[in-house]
Amino acid sequence: MSPCSRRLGAGVLAAGLIAPLPALSHAALIEAEAVQAIRLQALYDTGEPMAGAQVVIFAPGAPAEAWGRGSTDAEGRFVFVPGPEEGRWTVQVRQAGHGAMAHVETGAAAPVSVASAAAPGWADRAVTIALVAWGALGTALFAMRGRRRSDASS
Amino acid sequence: MRRLLVAAAVAALAPLTATAGSLTLFASGEDLATEGFAAPKLTRDGWALEFTRILATFDRITAFQTDPPFMADGPAIAGTAVALAGPFTVDLVDADARDLVELATVHAPEGHFNALAWALVPATGGEAAGYSLVLEGIARRDGQEVAFALATADSVMHACGEYVGDARKGFVTAGGAAELEITLHLDHLFGRADKPADDPMNLDAPGFAPFASGGRHALSLDGLHLGHVGEGHCHVTML
Repeated sequence: MSPCSRRLGAGVLAAGLIAPLPALSHAALIEAEAVQAIRLQALYDTGEPMAGAQVVIFAPGAPAEAWGRGSTDAEGRFVFVPGPEEGRWTVQVRQAGHGAMAHVETGAAAPVSVASAAAPGWADRAVTIALVAWGALGTALFAMRGRRRSDASS
Repeated sequence: MRRLLVAAAVAALAPLTATAGSLTLFASGEDLATEGFAAPKLTRDGWALEFTRILATFDRITAFQTDPPFMADGPAIAGTAVALAGPFTVDLVDADARDLVELATVHAPEGHFNALAWALVPATGGEAAGYSLVLEGIARRDGQEVAFALATADSVMHACGEYVGDARKGFVTAGGAAELEITLHLDHLFGRADKPADDPMNLDAPGFAPFASGGRHALSLDGLHLGHVGEGHCHVTML
């Protein structure tokens, strides 16, 4: 945990200890840490974003099984934090009968992007997935601890 | 002595057998071939199409294991190759419940076959002789019914990347069976009424209007890009 996120966590903890709690409130613990994430953008060859497209992620150790799923945002972007497995992470993006794959290597070597390619002049909407970023993103992890009525009133 | 030679031959083949699986190649025109263009999936100009047969001839087929993965960005694919002897002429309307027609099954080494080269070529014999793709059927619109036959003699080479669909395909394991698929997207020829008129596919697709007089018409595949691997794309070269 970075010094900054440590300070944030400590501050939240301190606030929880000092502030009076309503009888039915919940105690909250927020831990923040910086993690490395892969951010992609999926576009049609017209430049139009693939907004709301289906995303399936495949991990290096089990490339035939879906490791995670999601969908792109309005700009065709998708961010995910890969697991600890080093190797080739594959992302498949599909929408309305069009699809493409992208591959990102993780590990000792710097990440390598192999984006899908689209030849100009194709007669349909070819798809391009490009690696936009590989880097540290601040992510807050929320841990909610419920308080029973007896705990709250004690 | 003969028994000894046989035993030696089996021993020599054993490592290959132990590390090989099978790879089956299918062709598909998807549900648009088997069920036709029916509402709301009419052609971009509003015709309903019912196909009686779609004869396609495939040849020069090679499956590849490529690393880094081939991304369909050129005509040349490099990697571990397995050839599938052709040509194969099949009727894409006469498909199984998954809209697939089996072309061939071959032994293949373990690994991920993530690229596929294939060509549509004119058949050298049979009912489709001289043509690489023949589409026959009935078109209907506003009470009008038109029997049609569209045929092309074009030869088109495809260099495709990985199959894209509901599941990844092409993973050959020891003793296991894997599949690959050649897919023809017929909506790139006829367009789709259930998609926006300004969809690039609809802008480029001829639709059915050029053939609405009925009878037999010559068809050019140049620029249509019917060939895919599932939803995955292919680099196309007119031969």
